[in-house]
Parts: sequence; C-alpha cells; structure tokens
Amino acid sequence: MNELFAAMYESLFGVYNANYLEIFTTLFDFGGYLRLGFLFIGLPLLFWLLFYYLWKYPYGRFLHWLVWLLASAVTVLVTTWLVADHAIFDSGNQALADALGDAESGYKAYAEGLPMRYALINAGLSLAVGFMASLVMKQFSRIQMHLPF
Amino acid sequence: MAQKLYIFGIGGTGSRVIKALTMLFAAGCRLENGFDTVVPVIIDPDTGNGDLSRTKDILRLYQQVRNQVDHPDDFFGQEVKTIHELADHSAGINPDFFQFRLNGVDGNSFRKYIGFEELGDNPEAGEDDRNFIRLLWSEANLDADISVGFKGNPHMGSVVLNQFTSSDDFIRFGQTFSPGDAIFIINSIFGGTGAAGFPLLLKNLRGNSEIPHRVHVKDAPIGGITYLPYFALNRQDEINSESFEEKAKIALDYYNRTIIGQNRINALYLIGNRGNTNVIPYAVGGKEQKNNAHFLELAGALAILDFCKNRDLHGVSGGKAVNGTRVKEYGIENETETITFGDLNLDDVKKLSGPLTKYRLFTGYLEKGLPRALGVSRWTRSNIRLVPSSNNSVLDRSYFSSVEYNLQVKAFNALFDEWIREMGENKPSFIPFREMTADTALNLVRNSAPKGNLSFRALDVWNCRLIARDDLRAPVGMKHSTLIRLFGLSTEKVLTKKELIIR
Repeated sequence: MNELFAAMYESLFGVYNANYLEIFTTLFDFGGYLRLGFLFIGLPLLFWLLFYYLWKYPYGRFLHWLVWLLASAVTVLVTTWLVADHAIFDSGNQALADALGDAESGYKAYAEGLPMRYALINAGLSLAVGFMASLVMKQFSRIQMHLPF
Repeated sequence: MAQKLYIFGIGGTGSRVIKALTMLFAAGCRLENGFDTVVPVIIDPDTGNGDLSRTKDILRLYQQVRNQVDHPDDFFGQEVKTIHELADHSAGINPDFFQFRLNGVDGNSFRKYIGFEELGDNPEAGEDDRNFIRLLWSEANLDADISVGFKGNPHMGSVVLNQFTSSDDFIRFGQTFSPGDAIFIINSIFGGTGAAGFPLLLKNLRGNSEIPHRVHVKDAPIGGITYLPYFALNRQDEINSESFEEKAKIALDYYNRTIIGQNRINALYLIGNRGNTNVIPYAVGGKEQKNNAHFLELAGALAILDFCKNRDLHGVSGGKAVNGTRVKEYGIENETETITFGDLNLDDVKKLSGPLTKYRLFTGYLEKGLPRALGVSRWTRSNIRLVPSSNNSVLDRSYFSSVEYNLQVKAFNALFDEWIREMGENKPSFIPFREMTADTALNLVRNSAPKGNLSFRALDVWNCRLIARDDLRAPVGMKHSTLIRLFGLSTEKVLTKKELIIR
C-alpha cells in the first residue's frame, strides 16, 4: 500500500522534486504516505456510513447529500493538511529536521506548500471515493436509499 | 370452520351501531371464535334516512378499500359481505344490498298500506272493519307517511315490517345461512321501527317454517342489543321524546315476558343513558334525521364483539337458549360527561385504545403529515435509481392523487374522523384524543404524556424501514394493499415505542 500511495502522489499527481528528496523519503519511510492514503479512503467511508445508516432523518433531499459530500471533502482537506504538516515538520527524521532548519537549503520554503497540495489532492479524491461509496451504501440503507438519486 | 355473523340493524339506531362497528373493523378490531365474515343487514323503511345513507356509504367504502388489500390482517381485517354477494357469489359492491327492502312504503300512508278503504266485502262490513281498525290506530296513525318510518309507533311498525320475513331478501338470507353461523339484532326500544322489528324478527328466526335452512336458523345463537332512551328532542310533535321512557318500560315488560322469559335469545344487551340531557334537533326521518355519533353506539359495537367472544355459552336447542337468556348491561368505571380511555373498563380499553389510536394516527398523518413526506421520503419514491425494482414504492405522487385513493381511502378516513369528532361533541362526549398537529402528532391520546420527539417523523422513519418488506408487495389490482398494511405496521411500532397502546 505504501508503494501504491507513494506512486500515486509522486507520479500520478506529480508531487515530487528530486532536489528535496529527504522529504519524500521521510514520507515513505515513516508512514506518511500510508496515513495520507487512508485519509481519502477512510474518512469518506466513515462519513457515508453515518449518512446512510445512522442518520434517521426521513426527509433527506439531494441537497442534504450534496452538503454531506462537501462536508466530507472539507473534513478530508483539513485533516490531510494537519497530517501532512505533522508528517513533514514533526517527522522524527533528524536529517529532514536539519534540512528544514537550514535556511539556505530551500527545504522549508518548498515544504510549506506541500500540506496544501496533499490536502487538495485528497479532497478531490474523497469526492470520487465518497460518490462511489454512496452508490454502494445506498443499496443497503433503509432511510436514505433514494439519495443521491 | 368459517362462520358468519349476520347483524340485523333495525331503524336509525341499528344503522348507527353498524357504522360504529364498521369503524372498529377498519381500525383492526375483529370478531373472535372463527367469525370470519360479517353480514350487516339494515331494516329501515326510511330509505332516505340520513343515518342509513351514511352507514351504507361507510360500508360501501369499507368494502371498496378492503377489496384492494391483499390478506388484510390489521386495518380492515374483518371481512364484510352482503347477502347478495354470498348468495350470488358475486364480487360487485352495491350498498343498497346492505338494506332489506320493504315493499309498498314509498310515498304511502299507513292507511293506504293496510288497504283501509278497501276493507270488507260490502260497504257495511267494510265500515265495521274500519271502525275496528280505528280502535287500534288513530287517524294520525292512519294518515302517517310510512316512508320515513313509524315515528315512535311500534304498533304501526309491527304491521308493515311483517312483510319482510316473506321477502326475497329474507329468503336469500336463509339460503346463505350455514351451521355455525350466528345472528345479532340491534334495535332501540323507544322508537317505532326498532321496537316493532326486534320481536318480529326474532319470532321469525326461531319459528318461521318457510325460511330456507330453517333448522340451522332456528337453533342458531342469537344475541341482541336494545337501546333504552339516550337522547331527547329539542321539541315535541309527532314524535314525542318525553314518551320515550314510558314506551321503553312497556316494551321491556313485553320482552321480559316473551323474549327473556321464554329464552328465545341467548344474550340480550341493554344500554341507555338514564337522566340524559342530550338534546338533538327534531327530525321526522328523511335526510334530516342524521344524528351525531354517540359513545353508546360504540358501546353497542362492543356488545357484538362480546357476543362472539362468548360464543361457546350460546347453545340453542329447539329454538331456545340452553343456558337461558343472559342479560347484560354496560357500564364505565368513572361517571363523567367527558369519557376518555381511562374512564373505561380495562377490558374495553384493551379492545379499543390500540386500534382506535392507530387508526386515528393513520388518518391524522395522511391529512397533516403526508405533505411533508410525499416525493421526499424514501417510502414515497418510485424512481430510486440503481436499486432493485422491489425497492421502489408504489405509494408515490401518482398513487396519492389517484381516483381510487381519493374516493375510497381518503373518503373513508374523512368519515372516520367525522365519527370521532361527533362522539366528542355529543353528550356524554367520548373524547379520547387531543387535537393533532404535525409537531405534536404522537401526543394524541388524552391523559398521556409521551416523551421525546412527538412529530410524525417517527412514523416516516418506520415507513422507510418497512416499505421494502416482501409481505407489503401488492399483487396487481390490490391498489391499497401496501398503504393499509404499511400503516398497520408502522403505527403499531411507533405507538408501542411511546407506550401509547395498552394491551
């Protein structure tokens, strides 16, 4: 899974720069990619579980579903930002910490933009995952089966 | 073994008690001891009578709704048929078949009916006969228009009603009568039609040798409820309500000597409201005679349930009750002018509160709760995509705007709500429910205080949960099946959770 997520973020979405290798090595070695990956899968699943199986509101409309989708995406965005920020700036990898502390290395300036990039990627992915999860989960929901359609 | 209960409702009181019983059946009450079919028969010469017309309408709607429910086992659980349906094995619904027709009463005076002017072989003999007749009936009696009933004169009714026991309808009744069937008769003792009709009918049931299956009919269990005065009129004219009590005493004395003393009937229920101050507008039959529903009519319906429940005690041999005639009266626990469930005997509470509360919630929901859910809640959606077709509901906008729903279910429910309202406005009033709003719907039972959310929401949640059940899927042509069965279940769930049903 680590390789899969790493390939996705680095190759598919192009979040990689060989000049700052230590960042990406740290994310790979210290489980940062795993945590980021589970966020865009796990959080939407949890959100839609709540929506379809615990939310006992019988007057749900498409708008409710849409708001829930967006709320899920926003939650993933914020959480991803926090997790990515922690994974980079509080990693426990001394080499990365030294590089980030060296003002002339350029690591800090580059690294500061990464959490938002991962957050936006994850938010977008969560929309897709959430939509597909929704189509599956609605089959077994008794109250919200009619959403999104 | 399947058994039938024939219910003869005589006069306006008979119509109103049959109406009350039909409402209980709609709410889910059923007869015990294998009585799977009820055959109401209304005997009333006043074909235009408002109460009669309303009862026939209710019976027609009941059948129309029930015929479109697949194996109803809660709301509309009790089967109701006419004698014609049994005799002809036809499925057509004709409310007129609930009434035994009387010939020669339309537009006729009593004088003309008995052939007063044609009496005697010659003028002299005829005048003697006419003078004899004048000893029994006054000029006012002779001139009375009998198409609106007998206006509190049972000595007229006993002559006119005598014809029906040789009528085609009565013959058809005998033809459809089977071993194990039973009979119940409803009448008022202070009226004209009921007071005359009851002993006449009973005499023929026990002793008419012309009736088909006379052996079965003669030895059938027979019960009856006789209404003593329970209302007065706001003025006195042809019908004098001040004479009701005196007439009742005279008739009771006759019943005691003949019917009860000779064990002709298995169970006789007596009910009335002595010292009542319930005054209703004066009306001499016709469509103006449309009395508001009264709690005592609902109590009369309970008598019928009680009669069937105690069927085993009603043995008959040689046309007489083996265990003698059991005479029963009705009472409630608390003397009050505003009766609620808590004022009734516990057995009656158990019989009534569940079914009536469920059905009242049902009618209230369709009126005040449905607009919010229709087209929004899952259980009203027929266009849900990417799911098996069995998950789509038949209870969508097109169903609720259909002719069948509006002219049958909605119409019946309006009559049910009217019946409940009328009992609440009568004296004593039966007013077990509060006014219902969408936000306080589950607070409908008086003297209860359920907790939590009291809106219709819980009902909609249960409807969503239940709508896809296999047993709610309706065969083709059973248009109301899903609606009636769904709400029978969901109202039960909701009210049980709120502890509003006493069992």
